[in-house]
Amino acid sequence: MGKLHLNTLTGNRQTFFVAANLSAFFKSPMNWQTTDRMQNMTNILKKIFFIDFIKGLSLTLGYEVSKSVTMRYPDEEKWLPYQRFRGLHTLNRDAQGRELCVACELCAKTCPTKCITVVPMEDDTGIGISDRIAKVYEINLVRCMFCGLCEDACPTTAIRMGRDYELACFSLDCAAADKKRLLAPAHPFPFQEGIQKSPLLGGDKGVGQEFEGGYVVGARLERNKQGISIKPDLTRKKRWW
Amino acid sequence: MPDINTLIEVALIIVKVIVVSLILFTLPIPLTWIERKVAGHIQVRLGPFRVGPHGILQPVADMIKLMFKEDIAPDKADKWLFKFAPLFAMVPAFAVYAAIPFGDKITIPIINKEVTLYISDMNVGILYILAVGGISVYGIILGGWASNSKYALLGGIRSSAQMISYEIALTFSCIGVVMTSNSLSLLDIVKLQSGTILGFIPHWNIICQPIGFAIFFIAALAEINRIPFDLPEDEGSLAAGYHVEYSAMKFSFFMLTEYLAMVTASVLTVILFFGGWNAPLFMPEIPIFWFVAKVGFFIYLFMWIRFTLPRYRYDQLMTIGWKILLPLSLLNILLTGLFLL
Repeated sequence: MGKLHLNTLTGNRQTFFVAANLSAFFKSPMNWQTTDRMQNMTNILKKIFFIDFIKGLSLTLGYEVSKSVTMRYPDEEKWLPYQRFRGLHTLNRDAQGRELCVACELCAKTCPTKCITVVPMEDDTGIGISDRIAKVYEINLVRCMFCGLCEDACPTTAIRMGRDYELACFSLDCAAADKKRLLAPAHPFPFQEGIQKSPLLGGDKGVGQEFEGGYVVGARLERNKQGISIKPDLTRKKRWW
Repeated sequence: MPDINTLIEVALIIVKVIVVSLILFTLPIPLTWIERKVAGHIQVRLGPFRVGPHGILQPVADMIKLMFKEDIAPDKADKWLFKFAPLFAMVPAFAVYAAIPFGDKITIPIINKEVTLYISDMNVGILYILAVGGISVYGIILGGWASNSKYALLGGIRSSAQMISYEIALTFSCIGVVMTSNSLSLLDIVKLQSGTILGFIPHWNIICQPIGFAIFFIAALAEINRIPFDLPEDEGSLAAGYHVEYSAMKFSFFMLTEYLAMVTASVLTVILFFGGWNAPLFMPEIPIFWFVAKVGFFIYLFMWIRFTLPRYRYDQLMTIGWKILLPLSLLNILLTGLFLL
């Protein structure tokens, strides 16, 4: 459609084309028949019958009847990230339900933004896998840049980054994630050696490690006294594109 | 003392005027929704979706918003003109419909009375429509001037120049139709388009006047300020053009005018070139259905074009108007005359 200015129909370019055609004709009649003039005629015919215009319209019509790529995020569906996704952290437990964290503070030391606070304490009641557990384990989520270095530093695979990315909230309380929030609840699918990611998507969303990510799942927005949450429905899933 | 029949006739005309005005007032409500849906789907989005099922109540929400918005007038604006410019734009858009026929006549079953489906059958119908439709641009120019804003003023000036350039081609392309049907009355023009040529081609003016149709359609696109000719409200370079300073209901009057102009252009295209309410080949005649269907198609086509084409540059607009459409329309008149001879 950009070519529909019809400037080849009028003005100097037309004269130029005619002159070029004539000189080409005197040089070799065959070429004149098949190349320049044909091209010129096709262009003019294209303009008369609005060919480019119709092409454009059919293209947009094709898009109009095609399926929309919009994800209706909070109400109908949500994106379930891949397993490698680095979302909200979790503190994991072993198969017996004991905390894996031994409060070695390696994560706090390696953290580039210094957002992890760990205070160790002694405990021999069997909460943790050793007699040293974390009294305070707090991650400042506002400062955290989700680089995943704490994961790499952890010798007991206690801290792992999950797939929960819905971290927005209405007050500053949730900006810091404390141990209670990070600690994964005991789950029928416990953390296993060798699996590099957390068993849970994070929080209480109930999406286990076994679910491969990278697609859109059903979801619904729930408002209750605790606030607004988005409940995923894993039975409905589809590729986004 | 007038007799009872005259009174009924007068009452009938009043009822028709009220019904047509009401329809015209409410028509932009679904049209905005449809336009946004068409835009959405062409751009592989969903369009409005939150208010009501599939966003069907979106225009109602918009209307409420427009009604309760603060009505701002710029400090140095010409207050009187600023207030009345939307009305100057809007009234002609409604007045055009006094001469537009929507169908021939139907018989109301219960009272067994024949009702004509037009407010008046003027013998200069098409002339009236083109003239009154042309007045509408005054609203745009005055609105642009009264706003005391450079963008609005430029929009108004562009609009006036564009109207002058394209009004001529538009009128000349109608002359071909008038020549073939020997009448300025839209009713006669439609009646002449019934039947078929050679038994299988509908006797519509698009068949006899293809050049005329092309010119009319392009000029109508320019007349109603839609892409690719929406220079007066060019978002890219003029913010919103002539209505940049308008808000609330005054702005919505301009929007109403714009949508009505689109409907008018579709209606005129259908009446002049697509056989009005005559049914297409071998289809049953249903009083108003075919007319509405054809008009609907053209409204859709205008929206479709809007989200397909980019905007022309101003010099290109003028070139197309004066160097191509005007000579072509003259040629069309010449050819029509030769054929008629």
